[in-house]
Amino acid sequence: MSTQTVESGAAGHGAEPRGKRDDDGQATYLIAIAEALWEEMERDERVYMLGEDIGVYGGAFKVTEGFIDRFGPDRVMDTPIAEETIVGMAVGSAMEGLRPVAEFQYADFMSSGFDEITTVLSRYHYRAGVPLPVVLRAPSGGGVRASSFHSINPEPWYAYAGGIKIMCPAFPSDAKGLLKSAVRDDNPSMFLEHKWIYRRIKEQVPTEPDFLVPISSAAVKREGTDVSVITYGAMVHKALEAAESLAQRGVSAEVVDLRTVYPYDEETVLRSIEKTAHALVLYESYRFLGIGSEVAAMIAEKAFEHLDAPVVRLAPPNVPVPFSPPLEDAFLPQVADIEAAVDRLAAW
Amino acid sequence: MPRAAWLLRPPGPVPYDAANAAMHRLAERRLTGEIPDTLILLEHPPVFTAGRRAKDDELLWDPASVQARGGIVRKIDRGGSFTFHGPGQLVGYPIIDLGTTPDAGGYLRRLEDVVIGACAELGVSVDRRAEVQTGVWHGDDKVCAIGVRLLRARVTLHGFALNCDTDLSWFAGIVACGLPDRGVTSLSELTGRAIRVEAVRPSVERAFASSFDVAFEDAPDEIVEAFTVAADVA
Amino acid sequence: MTSIQMPQLGETIVEGTILKWLKHEGDAVVRDEALFEISTDKVDTEVPSPVAGTVTKILVDEGATVPVGTIVMEVAEEGAPAVAAAPVAPAPAGAAAADAPPAPAAEPVGVVVASSIPAPVAPVSQPAQVAASVPDRGPRSQILSPLVRRLAREHSLDLGQIAGTGTGGRITKNDVLAVIASGGKTAAAPAVATATAPDLGTAEPAAPPAAAAPPIQLGVGDEAVPMTHIRRAIAEHMLASTQATARAWTLVEVNVDHLVRLRERVKDDFERKHGVKLTYLPMVVRATVDALQAFPDVNARLDGENIVRHRLVNMGIAVSYDAGLIVPVIKGVDGMNTVGVARAIADLAARARAHQLTPDEVQGATFTITNPGPYGSVASVPIINQPNVGILSFDAIVKRAVVVDDAIAIRSMVNISMSWDHRVIDGELATRFLARVRQNLETWDFAEDLGL
Repeated sequence: MSTQTVESGAAGHGAEPRGKRDDDGQATYLIAIAEALWEEMERDERVYMLGEDIGVYGGAFKVTEGFIDRFGPDRVMDTPIAEETIVGMAVGSAMEGLRPVAEFQYADFMSSGFDEITTVLSRYHYRAGVPLPVVLRAPSGGGVRASSFHSINPEPWYAYAGGIKIMCPAFPSDAKGLLKSAVRDDNPSMFLEHKWIYRRIKEQVPTEPDFLVPISSAAVKREGTDVSVITYGAMVHKALEAAESLAQRGVSAEVVDLRTVYPYDEETVLRSIEKTAHALVLYESYRFLGIGSEVAAMIAEKAFEHLDAPVVRLAPPNVPVPFSPPLEDAFLPQVADIEAAVDRLAAW
Repeated sequence: MPRAAWLLRPPGPVPYDAANAAMHRLAERRLTGEIPDTLILLEHPPVFTAGRRAKDDELLWDPASVQARGGIVRKIDRGGSFTFHGPGQLVGYPIIDLGTTPDAGGYLRRLEDVVIGACAELGVSVDRRAEVQTGVWHGDDKVCAIGVRLLRARVTLHGFALNCDTDLSWFAGIVACGLPDRGVTSLSELTGRAIRVEAVRPSVERAFASSFDVAFEDAPDEIVEAFTVAADVA
Repeated sequence: MTSIQMPQLGETIVEGTILKWLKHEGDAVVRDEALFEISTDKVDTEVPSPVAGTVTKILVDEGATVPVGTIVMEVAEEGAPAVAAAPVAPAPAGAAAADAPPAPAAEPVGVVVASSIPAPVAPVSQPAQVAASVPDRGPRSQILSPLVRRLAREHSLDLGQIAGTGTGGRITKNDVLAVIASGGKTAAAPAVATATAPDLGTAEPAAPPAAAAPPIQLGVGDEAVPMTHIRRAIAEHMLASTQATARAWTLVEVNVDHLVRLRERVKDDFERKHGVKLTYLPMVVRATVDALQAFPDVNARLDGENIVRHRLVNMGIAVSYDAGLIVPVIKGVDGMNTVGVARAIADLAARARAHQLTPDEVQGATFTITNPGPYGSVASVPIINQPNVGILSFDAIVKRAVVVDDAIAIRSMVNISMSWDHRVIDGELATRFLARVRQNLETWDFAEDLGL
């Protein structure tokens, strides 16, 4: 299937995303996300999108390129720079029966709408019994030299709200299937797209319109017997690289991709620990109070008698994401750090 | 590869004293390795046997009454208390060399397995009780008594007694196995049909061969004859 | 000087009572002569002397109950001076090594701002009881992880006897798993420690001790339920059958439309008149009996090199009940009509479920039928009931679209299949046999045979 291009008035080259796979039919993470949005918009008229620059411009990362031509400005709505209002609109329209998908240009800006997200969106169903099928999407994560205003991993903040399902897929197929599930789910969801992965990772992605990945299900991305690496997001790819290198030296690491970080799949995590008896929880949100803190505590509590070593966390420190490349590299766990952590754990 | 073992089926009922003496002699020969492991299956005429732990007051009928009914009483060298043997009861005397580090508990468990397995083949579900109560039970009722002695701490003597269509009224004469609040039953009583010793014996032989991993050959005639010599002691 | 101990007569026997001394101080004894009588809770026995010599000392009174391994008597061997030696104290189980807490291993902590992995920390205080018996084989040999402790507990292992290959001598999960996998039990029962092992000539090797069952690995939330005896019997039979036969399988589709309609018409009258429900099974039995008579090699068994064809047909009917599976047998079913078969099935099934079958009623089948249809299966591959040549499965009757005279019609169809022993018969025979069953079911007028 070759890439088709269609002229459009936008700066991008509008075309339906399903035409943007490469010659082998593989889709990047970004294209897979676009396909999910397109298919859900086609499937259900109540689904509509709003966000900054998503319409005419096609989105800051070009995810929604071509959408406005197909679906029109009422369903692909450009908004001002007003995150709180974006969330508020999403909440209000959801109350009225629509299914909004709100894009945030960077996950870092979601905190401008913090109150609307945590006090209103997260709790509305509890208070009023009215479901709010809202999806908030945003590019998150670092490693792209975008510094502290454009590299946040905000999932711990919003997981704390308690009423929002939070997804951080690492692979294109997972991204597509999870986003479709999120749109179809009647609960508020937050779909965090790791920007480092956008164009770096591609694979064969299913084309069935009803291809869904269940929310709150983890997946073992690499089987192993010596150490379990529990992780999500861009760190999954680093873990897989480390696992490959470790395998050359006879250490067998199992990589478990949480895919959804809240609520997350404890079962799969525990089964992995039972097998290996060693747990390394690897995550990009800050070490202190990041997603992995919760996972580590759960493992220690529920798999105590299956552990042959303490549960260890590997995550960045609680500092603003550095801009300087060597500093950012020191800030983020690297493949070498993961290997060293696994080695130390296996030798404990 | 199952080992060869002898199977003796003296036609019965075989008087107790003759059988007991023959069994002991065979055990001595087993000890010297002259003969292989042997299983004796037979029936006895009515006899109450008292083991080492039997108390006199556990025989509820006086000896004259027992004799009037056609039974005898014997004190013997196995452990345990009183039990009854009589027609309709399949008695098994395995003579097995357990070796110099015997596992008597394991042997008793295997005997229980043999009986349980044979009953299962007949569609009757029986089981062992808690660790210390050797024997095979159906609920609170004992269907098979087990009592064993070792010769020189290695060769087994005595064995098991499985009630097929035994006349259970004989058990009223004793506090069976020293346990006043346990009952006694038989396969016939459990199934409501007449189950004879002959019907049960093949299942017991199969279960024994399987549990103890042996292949039976018939014992030579002169060995069997030792059991049929009439007892000269009342 | 030979010490005679209270012998170990079994793993679970922990003590014995001296009933009677048969030899007394000063008596001469020959090898193998009985020294004393003991009674334990499992067995009684007399204890033979391992040596020839003279009894020098009796250490325990008659009637006393002492733990296994207690020295109860001394015997001076022939030729050895009869010196009264001090009794050898039995070795205490497990050496205690109560050392000061070991120094923590000096693990360099990677100084990376991003990731700080805690150095493995040695316990501040001595870990409780289990470690008290772990010898000090290295600076971290006292560190027992939760997993290691649990595995040791579950498999009754003495951690003191496991060498630790982990850092600083730590006993790791793999160290423990290796011991378990090799079937090794480290907790040793005290042995009967006589000076020389008694030589009893050419005695046959003893019955092998029951092999330790492989340890059960339980995951979180799993539970282990021991098999009942009937379950074990079934397991053995099924495995033996599968291993002994060259099992093949053939299936035919049977149009039983007219039987379904017949049954609908008459079932109430049948039940009223004969007292049992009319199912399809008696009709299948009758149809099969005829086929067995037409193809006697199927009503047979293999005995060595001979195919023994049975004259009578004894039909085994597989019945599932609370304890598992049992196969009561209708003896001489070839002499019964459909009513007789129906009655026999109802009676046997009811008594099977009430655990009231006689031994005779579960033996002697020459062919077997199983009917999983009521549970919904449309085709099954049963295991042959030894020593039969075949077992026929009669599955669920389902309305299907079938071709009749080049047009689609709806008919009640049923799959009838047979697992059969290819050592005795071949595919052609098996197929012809089933074809005969089908022909019977499709063409016979059962109405005549229902005694209505």
